[in-house]
Amino acid sequence: MDAQKYLWEGAIPLQIHLHESQVTALPPPPPALILAPRIGYLPLLAPLIKPYFSSTLPPGVDTIWFDYNGLPLKWYIPTGVLFDLLCPEPERPWNITVHFRGYPGNVLIPCEGEDYVKWSFINSLKEAAYIMNGNCKNVMNMSQSDQLELWNSVLNGNLEAYQRVSSKLKLATVDEYTSLCSPKSQQSLGETDLTAQLKTGRVPVRLYILSVREDFDDLDEVHPIDSWEKISYINRPVEIRKEDKCFSLHDALKTLLPELFSDESLTDVKLSGVDFEDAVRKPNDVSSDKVMEDQGQNAYKQPEAGHICSSAEIKLIRIQGIEPKLEIPFSWVANNLINPDYFLHICVYVKVAQ
Amino acid sequence: MATESPSSVRKVVVHLRETGDAPILKQAKLKIPRTDKFAKVIDFLRRQLHRDTLFVYVNSVCSQNPDELVIDLYNNFGFDGKLVVNYACSMAWG
Repeated sequence: MDAQKYLWEGAIPLQIHLHESQVTALPPPPPALILAPRIGYLPLLAPLIKPYFSSTLPPGVDTIWFDYNGLPLKWYIPTGVLFDLLCPEPERPWNITVHFRGYPGNVLIPCEGEDYVKWSFINSLKEAAYIMNGNCKNVMNMSQSDQLELWNSVLNGNLEAYQRVSSKLKLATVDEYTSLCSPKSQQSLGETDLTAQLKTGRVPVRLYILSVREDFDDLDEVHPIDSWEKISYINRPVEIRKEDKCFSLHDALKTLLPELFSDESLTDVKLSGVDFEDAVRKPNDVSSDKVMEDQGQNAYKQPEAGHICSSAEIKLIRIQGIEPKLEIPFSWVANNLINPDYFLHICVYVKVAQ
Repeated sequence: MATESPSSVRKVVVHLRETGDAPILKQAKLKIPRTDKFAKVIDFLRRQLHRDTLFVYVNSVCSQNPDELVIDLYNNFGFDGKLVVNYACSMAWG
């Protein structure tokens, strides 16, 4: 059972409705039923969607965009992540609306075709490479044909082709770090910059936090998200030290969101009155230290509804549509649940005090 | 990777560097609250350069995502206590 194969085959069934403002002929066309790859991006579905609606569109230039319950969907977020984040109770099929006019430039950055998505993907890959290796030379030095082959493998969901090209990039996964750290291999390594990396592995993470004010027992009671302001997004790597064989998902989330955890189990955490700087920290845990210092200055508090205050409760953690047990080894998550750009996307639902 | 002293201020120092034929800014240094989004930097550049189309790079990675927090960019890509942002009028690093 290859986890990555399951991941690449994962898809979201979409029921795509043409927005009423774009309908020029009655009756309106029926919705398009499309299976969208989890690891893909919505604008890439344009060639599949357009044939359904081309006869009813008004004349003019087409710039495709989507909304869910009125919320314009950010096209650079992988489809699977959008679904996991915006559908607390998974909706199958997922009913979204497609537009070909009236691009909301105030909410969405421009996307005028496949090239924009490809560019965004390659840049994300460079970012991940930089985070993992301290530089993105390997991605910058990719040949044109390799870059194209890599992109096409993502476009077409071809895992074999992807693995062939991506292995050339030598983007170290956590496993490689831990296996490279055996005494034998350390002797054979002459390069000094490698030894520095052997001590820790850095996993690129994109974390999306949805803060919910109201109390809910079931996920379908959560009000639909009507604004991106309600979602806090952070881009912060998780460091795994090689000697930490039992570093779990729970541990990883603690380093990313220390204000939401205590050393007790995941229950209502009332941290008011606690000095964050006195909270237990792992020695030599650089990322923890940094985050702790920042916490002392309330650096990660967001205004508006994204505010993560001290009395908050994690309701849900979702990665690739899965709600993993928190005891799961983080190295497994980092090796198997990452997107093709080497980023791990984590969705967290947090209930905050009224 | 950038390191911060315990007494570090709430702001991130951003150095704006022109690339290619982009004009040099009169004000090329910014101090931005760390909780601000990168959108602030992009908007500042757009206003100063009177251009809507700009390519913004951090360590040769094209950073167009306005949702990125300045503090995250600084922690991931900053060095020597600052975040260097390169801006160009046409794509510099493909």
